[in-house]
Amino acid sequence: MHHVLLDQWSRQSSPLHARDPRAKIILLGIFLIALATTRPDAGLTLALDAALLFSGILIAGLPAAGLLLRSMAILPFSLTFGLISWAAGDHWRAIGLVEKSYLSTVAVLLTVGTTTLPALMNGLESLGTPRLLVLVAQFLYRYLFVISEQAQHTRVAAACRHGAGRKYRRVRFRAAAGALAVLFTRSYSRAEGIHRAMLARGFAGTFRPLKPLRFHGADALFTIALAGVFILVRIP
Amino acid sequence: MHIPDNFLSPPVWAAFDALSVPAVGLMAKRAGRELEEARVPLLGVMGAFVFAAQMINFPVGIGTSGHLVGGALLACTLGPAPAVLVMTAIIALQAFVFQDGGVLALGANVFNMAVAGVLAGYLPFKLWGGGPRRKQAIFAGAFLSVLVSASLALSELLISGVRMPQPVILISVGLFAVSALIEGAITVSVVQVLERLNPRMVQKPVAPSGRAIAVLAGSALVAGTAGFLLASSAPDGIIHIGQQLGLATRAVLHAPLADYELGGFESAWLRRAAAGLAGLILVYGICAAAGRWIGRQRSA
Repeated sequence: MHHVLLDQWSRQSSPLHARDPRAKIILLGIFLIALATTRPDAGLTLALDAALLFSGILIAGLPAAGLLLRSMAILPFSLTFGLISWAAGDHWRAIGLVEKSYLSTVAVLLTVGTTTLPALMNGLESLGTPRLLVLVAQFLYRYLFVISEQAQHTRVAAACRHGAGRKYRRVRFRAAAGALAVLFTRSYSRAEGIHRAMLARGFAGTFRPLKPLRFHGADALFTIALAGVFILVRIP
Repeated sequence: MHIPDNFLSPPVWAAFDALSVPAVGLMAKRAGRELEEARVPLLGVMGAFVFAAQMINFPVGIGTSGHLVGGALLACTLGPAPAVLVMTAIIALQAFVFQDGGVLALGANVFNMAVAGVLAGYLPFKLWGGGPRRKQAIFAGAFLSVLVSASLALSELLISGVRMPQPVILISVGLFAVSALIEGAITVSVVQVLERLNPRMVQKPVAPSGRAIAVLAGSALVAGTAGFLLASSAPDGIIHIGQQLGLATRAVLHAPLADYELGGFESAWLRRAAAGLAGLILVYGICAAAGRWIGRQRSA
């Protein structure tokens, strides 16, 4: 599964993995903005950006082919719009859409592939994201697999009961609605159970990371140096 | 409906980022006030439910099936503010973990689907959900939530100057209308079953007595639709306005950084980079201020 793979990637160790999540979030923002404001015909800048990303993947020790392939998930969407733009005679926009959206995706994957999700969430929270939102996102990610598995069971059970016939569409529609409602109530009562269990273990309103975030001098240096590089690359 | 990065022009995504941050901050504050601590895990698990619900297919036509989007269902069950929060968390995770939608475009996506989508979905339910037309209200809410999100996304793309010929726009509007109908049907049938299983799970809205809200809602809807129709009928005009607006934003954002325009730095890229950075700092400032404000409200 996709996110399981991301989890594995983000738990490896490398100079990029070791950096504070806040440094990586800020740099991702600067990189994306620099890329978004690059003209699509600025070939040198885009080539340098791609080279930077690629060296980032190598330094992080992530499987380059896997990451680059995974980023292609964006292509069906961007190619469709690219083709429409091309047909409308706006060739540079078409090329820009495809190449820049691909590079952005690689940049996001590189960031998420070198930062564990809890660390990313902690970083976002200490950069000012509302605590409640971060908490909800963390719970969501934790229970995504549990609830998805339950949905999978429901789906298999439904397929066993009524096969794939086209008849009785109305009945099947209602059955699907019932399955969804049951999934809803199960999720609901599971959430109550989770909360009781968490209270029993002494939950006081926040997820506490095992290792508190610390912004070292190296992180500051890393941020400033790379931000400088991104802006320098953006000049031509 | 998830817009990736680099589809929207910088003024458009920056404006929507600046719009979404306070909106989500406000909703987080409201949700924090309404919820007891026990409901926090509930919101997360419900987000996971919406993700998982997309695996369950609903047969709709010959060989096709649809699935739940979930904004209106969440609004009818959890209430509007928690629903906005849950949808925001879903969209943020989709952007970071699943590469579905961009990071710079997160503000636009959150605004389309989490803020406007959920609130549009809740509006008919709030107005008529308590009366005899409950079923129709839920249907209308779900229908509107998908249609409003989709129209907003389309308009943003058009304002950004993404070329879409008239037939493409018409086809996409048609497809969105069909999926909005499907969302309406799914939401109504799920809510009906839920009410049979446990009536407490669905909100009991009290219609507001004042006519003000109805007028406000009506005008918002009309403005939204008119804006979209304008955008789709005259894309070139909108692009022009967009460029003007972009220049204006750039000028405004640039003004405080005027001192940096020294000698060789008077190039367009610096102005754009400065505007971008200023925008980033501005967004971050709003975000941090909203966070601190919420924190104070919660501890008070």
